[in-house]
Amino acid sequence: MNQHLQNILELINQTSQLKEEDKTAIISGLKKADKDLLISEFKLERTEKVKRTTAILLEETIEELEQKRKAIEDSNDALQKSLQELKAAQSQLIQSEKMASLGELTAGIAHEIQNPLNFVNNFSEVSKELIEEMLEEIKNGDMEEVNAIAQDVIQNLEKITHHGKRADGIVKGMLQHSRSSSGTKENTKINVLVDEYLRLAYHGLRAKDKSFNAALDTHFDDSIKTINIVPQDIGRVVLNLITNAFYACNEKKKLQIDGYEPKVSVKTEKHTDNITISVKDNGNGIPQKVLDKIFQPFFTTKPTGQGTGLGLSLSYDIIKAHGGNIDVNTKENEGTEFTISLPTNNNQ
Amino acid sequence: MKSKSIHGASFKEVDRALNSVLTDGFTPTVAFVFISVKQDRKAICELMTSKKIEVFGATSCGEFINGHQTEGEIAILLLELAKEHYTILFENMEDGNMDNAVSKLANNALNQFTNPSLIVCGPGINQKGEHFEGEKLVKSLEKQLGAEKIFFGGMAGDDWALKETFVFTNTKESNYGIVALVLNADKISLNGMAVTGWKPMGIARTVTKSEGKLLYEIDGKSAVDLYLKYLGKSDKIAEKDFKIFEDLAIEYPFLVERDTNETVIKSPTKIDRTTHALVMDNPMSEGTKFWFTQPPEFDIVEEVINKAAKLKTDLDTDADALLIFSCGGRKPILGPLVTEENEGLAKLWDTPMAGFFTYGEFGRVLNGRQNFHGGACCWVTLKEKE
Repeated sequence: MNQHLQNILELINQTSQLKEEDKTAIISGLKKADKDLLISEFKLERTEKVKRTTAILLEETIEELEQKRKAIEDSNDALQKSLQELKAAQSQLIQSEKMASLGELTAGIAHEIQNPLNFVNNFSEVSKELIEEMLEEIKNGDMEEVNAIAQDVIQNLEKITHHGKRADGIVKGMLQHSRSSSGTKENTKINVLVDEYLRLAYHGLRAKDKSFNAALDTHFDDSIKTINIVPQDIGRVVLNLITNAFYACNEKKKLQIDGYEPKVSVKTEKHTDNITISVKDNGNGIPQKVLDKIFQPFFTTKPTGQGTGLGLSLSYDIIKAHGGNIDVNTKENEGTEFTISLPTNNNQ
Repeated sequence: MKSKSIHGASFKEVDRALNSVLTDGFTPTVAFVFISVKQDRKAICELMTSKKIEVFGATSCGEFINGHQTEGEIAILLLELAKEHYTILFENMEDGNMDNAVSKLANNALNQFTNPSLIVCGPGINQKGEHFEGEKLVKSLEKQLGAEKIFFGGMAGDDWALKETFVFTNTKESNYGIVALVLNADKISLNGMAVTGWKPMGIARTVTKSEGKLLYEIDGKSAVDLYLKYLGKSDKIAEKDFKIFEDLAIEYPFLVERDTNETVIKSPTKIDRTTHALVMDNPMSEGTKFWFTQPPEFDIVEEVINKAAKLKTDLDTDADALLIFSCGGRKPILGPLVTEENEGLAKLWDTPMAGFFTYGEFGRVLNGRQNFHGGACCWVTLKEKE
């Protein structure tokens, strides 16, 4: 008991001036006061102790959190730097991929330019001969014949201009393909674009491998006029899908399966809100175990050095950026069909 | 069912108290004996045997009945329990095989009654002188009995000597055994609750390296260094005589997350100087999430009593007797408030009560599953069904 209360208790016990019931009541009150005092003292002491310990723990915790914050900040800076480096590396890779696909196109382009050049040369030759003939007829004074020859020369020159422009267009297209995308959407004749890239890819592969041959099956929906796209980007996607289709056919052909005829079908189709471009091959198909990886960057089934693994990944990004979709439907040993859908109200 | 609680500072005092309560025709059949290791257990058991009273005994770390809390003495709850409604089982784990002993005990309990409920006491210290893994005992018993079976109890103490604890019956005693009062739950109902009151302090921590009871690293840092530093005891790291359990962990244990949104208190018991690890009372496996703690607030007494009062109202029942297994750590943490807590429960249920300060508790938090607890006030009432 508290010493002061104890003294009071003793005094009360000793006194004879209090009634016994009063004594009992006072003693009971004293004991209760002692208990309350004991509890209060305990609470005070423990509060002080806990307060001290809590303060230390919280100070240490705050310091620790501060260190963690700093560490996170440092990591964040390092991550930002890595991210920038990664972005730089990515754009380099994208450029490499463009150059790689340009390489695939070179032979096709050469073939495509050769045709108009042949026309230009032939018509120039013929025109030269016609003009020599015309000079003869001028000497002979046969103006009717001169007039007829002059008409032929004009026609020839028109053809030369036409084929010259065609070669010019091919060269411009090639340059456009290799340049960074301007990102500007243009109303583009999608059937023309697809057809052009189909032919470039086909002749490109043929130029590299004379033995390669494949049946080309095209179904262009004439009701599609123009759609608003970034032509060099969509061209890149189409080229990638067609090149992959030819590669798949070529791989299957190497297996020398009896009766196998490589075939690539390209189809465009107009729907209510979109158009679709599908590229179908009758190659070996894509194994299920790799199907979910084909759109991942750097994933390739081609031997080292033959593919960057960026083609489908970039294609996916391009189509998504156009608000479209790219789907794949494949059956092992039967072939693969990639279908791009592009919205026709594409104003993004 | 009639019950009475008695206490004494010696065999003689208990003898006197027992004879005194028997004068009115009270004929107890069972005695819960919570007794200091300093007292003569054998003499008390013989006394009970002479009165044909069956003993359920455990050594204590302080003991109490209504209005009387002591240390180093004896507290007894006497029950006039019909013989057909109970049996007392005892299993020794001296071969070290706890699962075997628990399995035997559980099978015997299930053979005795189709729907048994149990009051169980186990050792507080194992044969190596370390804290007994009460968690394993509870899990094993829950598995053997079935998850729906109820049991409450605690781990025996030895007045903080932390050397050797005992459970016993009239004729058997063990420093590594289990004693159980098995009740026919269809006839005697047990209602109770475990409440701790420890609160998380600071940020959530994760065990990053541990093995068995050895806790090496917390959040990738030395567990010993972190624990002592954060509780302001860095200067004790090199002090070989520093008693981490008595001087720090009792007040500042860890609050560990466990299944079904429950937490459990786990305490460092010493520092393993060879491996520089904290030796825990119960293992904390790698990945375990936990917090440093703040001791219960002063309103814990009200919380315990209010929760008990709500349960009493919800069940619309009263009690024939009350047992309290209160963690030994609550005494230094709550001081005189722990007495208020125990007395408050006894007053609420208005029934004879006895209990002791334990080295671990078994029971259920409100609506919780059967679990081991540390730092808890674990109380249970016994009521004969009408």
